[in-house]
Amino acid sequence: MDRRTFIKLTAITGTSATLASCGNPENQLIRFVPAEDIVPGIAVWKPGVCPLCSAGCGLTVRVMDADAEVVRDGQAGVVRIAAAKKLEGAPDHPVNHGGLCARGQAAIQIAYHPDRITQPLRRAGARGEGRYEAVSWEDALGEIVSRLDALESAGNQRAVAYVAGSGRGYRSALVRLFLSRYGAPGPMAYQLFGDEVLRRANALSFGREQLPTFDLANARYVLSFGADFLGTWNSPVAQSVGYGLMRQGRPGIRGAFTQVESRMSQTGASADEWVPIKPGTEGVLALGLAHLIMTARLHPAAAAGRAGALIDGWSTGLATYTPQEVERVTGVAAARVERLARQFGDTRPAVAMVAGPPLAHSNALFTALAVNALNALVGAAEQPGGLFFTPQIDVAAAMKISGPVASPAPAIERLAAEGLSGTSATQLLFVDGANPVFTTPRAWRVREAFEKIPYIASFGSFLDETSILADLILPDHSFLESWTEALPESGAVEAVASVAPPVMRPLHQTRATPDVLLEVGRLLRRPLELPWQTFDELLGASLADLPSASGFGAWTDAQETGVWSGTLPAGLAVAEIADASPAPAPVAFAAPEFDGAADEYPFHFLPYSSNAFLDGSLAHLPWLQEMPDPLTSAMWSSWIEINPATAERLGIGTGDLVEVASAHGTLRTGVVISPGIAPDLVAMPAGQGHRTFTRYASGRGESPVDLLAPMTEAATGALAWAATRVRVTRVGPPDGRLILFAAGMREHLEEHR
Amino acid sequence: MCLVAFAGSVGCRWFAPAPSTSDASAPRLPGQSTGVFTTARPTLAAALNDFFGRRPIADQPLEFPHDVHVRLEIKCTEYCHESVTTGPVAGLPSVSTCMICHAAIATDSPRIQQIAALSEKGIDLQWTRVYGYAPEAHVRFNHAPHIRAKVECATCHGDIGGQTIAQRNVDLNMGFCVNCHNANKASVDCLTCHF
Repeated sequence: MDRRTFIKLTAITGTSATLASCGNPENQLIRFVPAEDIVPGIAVWKPGVCPLCSAGCGLTVRVMDADAEVVRDGQAGVVRIAAAKKLEGAPDHPVNHGGLCARGQAAIQIAYHPDRITQPLRRAGARGEGRYEAVSWEDALGEIVSRLDALESAGNQRAVAYVAGSGRGYRSALVRLFLSRYGAPGPMAYQLFGDEVLRRANALSFGREQLPTFDLANARYVLSFGADFLGTWNSPVAQSVGYGLMRQGRPGIRGAFTQVESRMSQTGASADEWVPIKPGTEGVLALGLAHLIMTARLHPAAAAGRAGALIDGWSTGLATYTPQEVERVTGVAAARVERLARQFGDTRPAVAMVAGPPLAHSNALFTALAVNALNALVGAAEQPGGLFFTPQIDVAAAMKISGPVASPAPAIERLAAEGLSGTSATQLLFVDGANPVFTTPRAWRVREAFEKIPYIASFGSFLDETSILADLILPDHSFLESWTEALPESGAVEAVASVAPPVMRPLHQTRATPDVLLEVGRLLRRPLELPWQTFDELLGASLADLPSASGFGAWTDAQETGVWSGTLPAGLAVAEIADASPAPAPVAFAAPEFDGAADEYPFHFLPYSSNAFLDGSLAHLPWLQEMPDPLTSAMWSSWIEINPATAERLGIGTGDLVEVASAHGTLRTGVVISPGIAPDLVAMPAGQGHRTFTRYASGRGESPVDLLAPMTEAATGALAWAATRVRVTRVGPPDGRLILFAAGMREHLEEHR
Repeated sequence: MCLVAFAGSVGCRWFAPAPSTSDASAPRLPGQSTGVFTTARPTLAAALNDFFGRRPIADQPLEFPHDVHVRLEIKCTEYCHESVTTGPVAGLPSVSTCMICHAAIATDSPRIQQIAALSEKGIDLQWTRVYGYAPEAHVRFNHAPHIRAKVECATCHGDIGGQTIAQRNVDLNMGFCVNCHNANKASVDCLTCHF
């Protein structure tokens, strides 16, 4: 081919390609008059609150002009709006100090998600089919009001159930108040990787039913039992900031860090020493350390006070927890136990933390109490370099509510069981920011129970496994379009309230759920006694009594900066829980119980909170789908992690397709061989395996929840999600479902063949 | 050759990775975008014109009389293009800006009545941009520093007072910018405009 022909061919190809890609001209959209004054091309930064987890980090949102396609009075058109374009951490926020995790960065995709629900919808097809028709807000609210009125006139208010995500702030207080004023049971707050056990343990040991705040910046030694505190647990950004200061913030001092866990987490990968341990025996190691510290007379047993008294045998020095006995139970060598005890007892300040898998066994409360006692023994509680409890605002007192704020809430598994057996008939279910059909063990049969409920209303912004069962969807605003607030449970030494006004006008025909609840309360035949017209009125009234640094009032300050922080006046703080009397019986170690016989199901199964999706609620954000996992580099997929020796024994290679089976379910997925995992353990990230959750997550990967046994923690009833045993069988060679960063599976395997 | 072009335009469909669970899906709901791909240019002619930098004569929804407003000594930057002093873009006024004056002035003119009717319905005029660069041009222009440097509007926009609808009568190519920057001892560093 000569040059002339080549150019001709290129021209022809180019023209035909252009022709092929040119469709009909777009319909000319009309342009609406913008509702606000916007200087084009100039960015302004507004405060916000990150909605993705309960840490309550402050945001600063870059807002600039943009054209948005909207519908006004049934007419489609374009309007210039001030649109949020980028999220960053708020520099002066007492929790995140300007930091923001990758999940928070991706939160902006919630607002502009192509599969967002844009208007109220009524079910048009069979339940679960996903066929919906548009309905006006007036009709939708009318439907809810008439349902609630009918139940009320029948005296059947207790047939209303409300399932919510986590939340300790004013929004969830409003939900509780709405339900209690109506006469319904309180909201069910279920979380797959919840921290109920640790909260209960802290209430018993320290009189605070909340998660602790760690003063890592001043710590010299941190001993963590399974807590993924740099990745997904508690307040990861606050803890990462503190961790950075602990390692590099003090000239000449580098705090040491040991991680005890059976599968190396992102946090474990940062540790100086990684101590693998038999699942469910972490409490024994903690008491073994306490025994040696007491024996060496580094700290007296009495120093642990109330926390020590909760442990059986504490006052006599835990004589049975000798290093040899600890080695027998936990698998950690006696010499190593002694060395860790010396390090923990000698270094001041030192602090221990526990969370995650150790608190997902049948004996979890014992484990948490043991670690608390160890902390109390070395004087870590409320001391610099130790652990603190962030003062909490008493929400009911701040809202000036008289009468009961909340009726007791049933556990979701009980609601499901009673619904299926017919002993309680829930008539109306509200779903708000939770997806229990996806996150509860299949053995609880939550989906079947929900299918039997005559009427379900969802406030969801996306169609997921739970909201697809809904008869009516009343989509909430995104967090950028509504008043947002959070009362961080931990992460700061002083009390914090994050509050921010809407960053931009609503893009769609959505309404803020708190405002919807207030309106429904007004529309009922017997209107509920809720003294606010809108949610921001509630927030303003609640923040009014807090001290203000500027003199303009805490409410004005918070709106401007996105946060209030300071010392709580008496009467507005949650009080410390007094010692129970009579004192609770001391607890002793009980071997963890596992579901499945060891000979049939030889492996412990460890689901873990995904660094990208947490429990799966963020799998719909494509930025997080394409974010490589920090330890395996896998993306857009799910996998199990398995020890190299085990893999060799079973003849499994990287990427191979395996079947993982428990007594409760089976799934097939790819394999990542990881040296950071015990030989008798397989681990799997949660988050993928959605059947219905937008175009990005639907049908992608598998969910470890499908295998979970309905095991519970003995004392608290919390789900023991690490107490399932499984077997692993190789099914076939890699089939492309495991995607590793920068390596197509095929090339990767050919390289390693 | 047509076959190649056809394959090129539809080929990507065939190689899309398939999700692993076949029965899972995200149902389409009323009110959501269609997900249909639309081209950057509406027609082939528009694409070609854009490529060769040919601009059609601006066709505005309303024959806005610049000459009348200039004759009445209404400053360009005072009401209508007010963000010119604060931001990169001069800004096109919305009909609500027109109505600030025309709620009372010249209300019997047919054009004003047209605007008033639109304003009542909350619908804006679809002004066509006369100046400006396509993103592919990789150049940025910021009005505010030019206003601060007391560059006259007419330097780049010509004699607006002699026009009704503004037309592009100055060719704003790189040579034009650099000449003026040199003459006024402004920076001609590449990164001044290409960033």
